[in-house]
Amino acid sequence: MKLTSREEKGVEILEPKGKIMGGPDATMLHDYLHDLINQNKKKVVIDLSKVEWMNSTGLGILISGLTTLRNNGGELKLAMITEKIESLLTITKLITVFENYDTVEDAVASFQ
Amino acid sequence: MAKSSGDDITISSSLDHIAAVDEFLEEWLRRQNIPEDTIADLAIAVTELVNNAIKHGNKGNLAKKVTVSLHFANGVAQATVGDEGEGFDPESIPNPIAEENLLKAIGRGIFIVKSLMDKVEFAFPATGGTRITITKKVVN
Repeated sequence: MKLTSREEKGVEILEPKGKIMGGPDATMLHDYLHDLINQNKKKVVIDLSKVEWMNSTGLGILISGLTTLRNNGGELKLAMITEKIESLLTITKLITVFENYDTVEDAVASFQ
Repeated sequence: MAKSSGDDITISSSLDHIAAVDEFLEEWLRRQNIPEDTIADLAIAVTELVNNAIKHGNKGNLAKKVTVSLHFANGVAQATVGDEGEGFDPESIPNPIAEENLLKAIGRGIFIVKSLMDKVEFAFPATGGTRITITKKVVN
């Protein structure tokens, strides 16, 4: 997995690419999310359009990021989830927990 | 350590080797002409089980091994993940979609495996360790 990020209108946009399956790559995303919180950056969008699939490690990172952000007055929103990830979110009922947008622009606008 | 031959791959108990397992698995499945969507389901399930085998089974002991064995015949794909741990009670795993567990960061692995696969079998040999065999019918 590779991870890039950018900021737009005060919102951090993370773009992981590849698979999130556990191991060092997953740790990188987890640490990056928690670093943002430490930097008081509390509005986060994760663009999942380039994530082929993830297992429960990836879902755990998303949940951990979401709950930590919410506990600190922030929010994590998802954008452009693939069919495979939507299926996993549905199976695990996490689809009811995350705000999910069709485009990154819509996700960013939802913070304004 | 990650060592593969034929239909098997064996790794030491480090999460650093998960990607090697996935690479071996996906290449093996592609050689059987299995559709990409099914490959993804099997890769998700196998990497779940390998994560569990490393963390919960072998408890990260690098001296202990995790083995993945693959089999494909008559349109049915099968993978067995074995560890050298002390075993566990599959019935004791909390339901991850219960309201009180929904926001927990862990505990979804086996649930996801069961959801994606047609059959999940647990075995705890007298010689020790856990062997979990997953089965998925392949529809081309």
